[in-house]
Amino acid sequence: MLVLKLLQSLVKALHSDGTPGQVAAGIALGSILGLTPLLSLHNLAVVALILVLNVSVPGAALGWALFAPLGFALDPAFDALGRRLLLDTSALVPLWTALANVPVVPLSNFNNTVVLGSLVSALACFIPVYFGSRWAVRRYRETVGERVKQSGLYRAITASKLYGVYRLFRPDA
Amino acid sequence: MPDGTVARFRWRAIVPLLLFLALVAVGWIVFADRLGRLAVERVGTAVLGARVEVRSFAISLGRGSVTITGFVAASPFDSLRNLVEAEQLAADLDVLPLFERKVVIDRLAATALRFGTARTTSGFVRARPGSPTAGVLANVKAWAEQPALQVPLLQLATGKLSIDSLDPRKLRTIQAAESLAARADSSARAWTEALAGLAVRTTADSALAFAQRLQGARPTDLALIRDARRMIERLKQTRDRLAALERGVKAGTSSLDAGLAALGAARARDVEFAKSLVRLPQIDAGAIGWLLFGPEAVARFQRALYYTQLARHYMPPGLAPRARPARTRRAGLAVEFPRERALPGFLLRDAEVALLVGSDSAGPRRYSGRLQGLTSAPSVYGRPTTFDIRAPTVSADAVFDHVRAIPRDALGGTVRGVTIPAIALPGLPIRVVPGTGDLTLGFALYGDSLRGRWEVTAPRAVWHRDSGAAGGVAADLLWRVVSRLDRLDLTAELGGTLGHPQLRVRSNLDAAVSEGLRAAIGDEIAAAEATVRARVNQRADSTLVPVRTRVTQVQAEATAQVAEARRVIDAAQARLEREVRRLTGGIRLP
Repeated sequence: MLVLKLLQSLVKALHSDGTPGQVAAGIALGSILGLTPLLSLHNLAVVALILVLNVSVPGAALGWALFAPLGFALDPAFDALGRRLLLDTSALVPLWTALANVPVVPLSNFNNTVVLGSLVSALACFIPVYFGSRWAVRRYRETVGERVKQSGLYRAITASKLYGVYRLFRPDA
Repeated sequence: MPDGTVARFRWRAIVPLLLFLALVAVGWIVFADRLGRLAVERVGTAVLGARVEVRSFAISLGRGSVTITGFVAASPFDSLRNLVEAEQLAADLDVLPLFERKVVIDRLAATALRFGTARTTSGFVRARPGSPTAGVLANVKAWAEQPALQVPLLQLATGKLSIDSLDPRKLRTIQAAESLAARADSSARAWTEALAGLAVRTTADSALAFAQRLQGARPTDLALIRDARRMIERLKQTRDRLAALERGVKAGTSSLDAGLAALGAARARDVEFAKSLVRLPQIDAGAIGWLLFGPEAVARFQRALYYTQLARHYMPPGLAPRARPARTRRAGLAVEFPRERALPGFLLRDAEVALLVGSDSAGPRRYSGRLQGLTSAPSVYGRPTTFDIRAPTVSADAVFDHVRAIPRDALGGTVRGVTIPAIALPGLPIRVVPGTGDLTLGFALYGDSLRGRWEVTAPRAVWHRDSGAAGGVAADLLWRVVSRLDRLDLTAELGGTLGHPQLRVRSNLDAAVSEGLRAAIGDEIAAAEATVRARVNQRADSTLVPVRTRVTQVQAEATAQVAEARRVIDAAQARLEREVRRLTGGIRLP
């Protein structure tokens, strides 16, 4: 089932009505959801951005689906990075102390080593992921996209109920 | 929308987004109480190291109030007993700090607080390895396992009397007897030599020969008469020297008699020395309290130390960033950054506490106390945490001062007329039920220095013996003593440092048990002492009899020899003087 949904996300994102830039922006935002622990306050903002900004929602789902396993795999590295930033870099202590006393910010769990490490990593990867995805989507559509559209598998996927839901949030071209 | 341009915003998603936020709000309304209850239980359990349960939790952010009913915190040391139980906790919450993820309670009212109530299910929880509470518990257990706090079991069953080997060389009687024998021999030799030096027999024979010569002499033979008189003078001199020797012999024999008398005193001392070799079991009165109540005292102080150490962990001094384990997607750390003149992460400004103490026939009595300044960052708050209760029969206070670098913690209380829990004697099937009495516990930890006091005064204590367990000789002896006692006065004092604690335990049982145990083994002591006395006498007699015989013999021989010499000299002198008188007709010639 999970694999099917992943396939749906992949197909819908690559063949959606959105431009490669919209799909890439969705993937980049989805990568933040995937790389960082999902139940964090900043991810609420990311979800809001995905919904409000005219980016590809299937792209965001694809980004999340692709980067979530990567996030789990890289958690030890995120933890190490978070420790380095929160505990070992004394120059940043005044910044963290100030943020810890700003309303709402502490609710983001920024003082957690895994959350901070993964969020910093996700933000650092945002631009490369965006441009990389945009190039990849464009290349896909130029090469094999049309042939995939004619395949039975594509028709089966687009005929599913989830595709109907997607249509509600498809990007305005 | 113009051709060739892409809209930046998807306005039609605003509605679903608002719906989503509304859903979140509804979820909060529906699940906030349940989440709050779970949070209190989860955090409380993690902090205390024992199960914390809440019957219901109600939060109202609009009114800034939280009400917890049926709050139960289990004891980390007794699986079927609660540490504290509260009917209701009503808190006035400061709402704005919640947006900084800080919990600030302006005022809390705790009603019907009870301590030490029974529970039907185990309150123990499996400590997560590496958790702060597990670390504190391990430290406290290690503290109580130090050799200075280990109490040996009372083992009178194996504490039999023993008689150390009696070394004859250490007996003064034998040494004195050998010395006396040597002195007697020496005296005998000296007297014999002195007597020989007087040449009594030779002098007497010369005098008798001279008297023989005088029988044929004439009165005009003046030279012979003069020589006779010289001989008489010589005899007198010999007799004088013999008298001196006789005095010496008398003094010597008296000295030997004194030596014989001293042997009796030496024997008495030897018997005392031998009795000291009878080893009694360890029934030192000062150790009885330690043996009987040491483990219970250690347990009391161990609990106080646990809560103090927990307070030190969760209320650390200083403003340095603090990391604590926190799990999100995987185990990580949550770092707190306290700041001066800001609110701490947790602060309970003022709590009114209504307690129920005691459960005797009159029912529990109600008291009220006050807790102030309970905070997770004392250095930020700037004031110590204090707690106090003042009532006619209850007084208790506590101070956790972690404002400065060296924390100072002190807690103590006295409860009068309270039902004191039973105390089991370690390793014995005997326990004391103190009944109603006075209970005092004080504990202070200043930096690393410990000070503690635990007092129990129970005027109507009752002793119980478990019929199922045997317990051995120690239990029998102890039971005979304690079953006659009807009160318990117990004092345990703790001092030293965390690394080198010192514990002293005294009780009214100490002297009574010690004397009772001594009386119980009195017959055994008497038999052992008789044995060692016989051994001393046997060894002394084997040496004393020949010495006494020898001394008597020396005395008799010396006296006889001197008397014989004196008789011989006297006879010779008398004979010579008679011959001289006969020759001179009694006229004294020039």
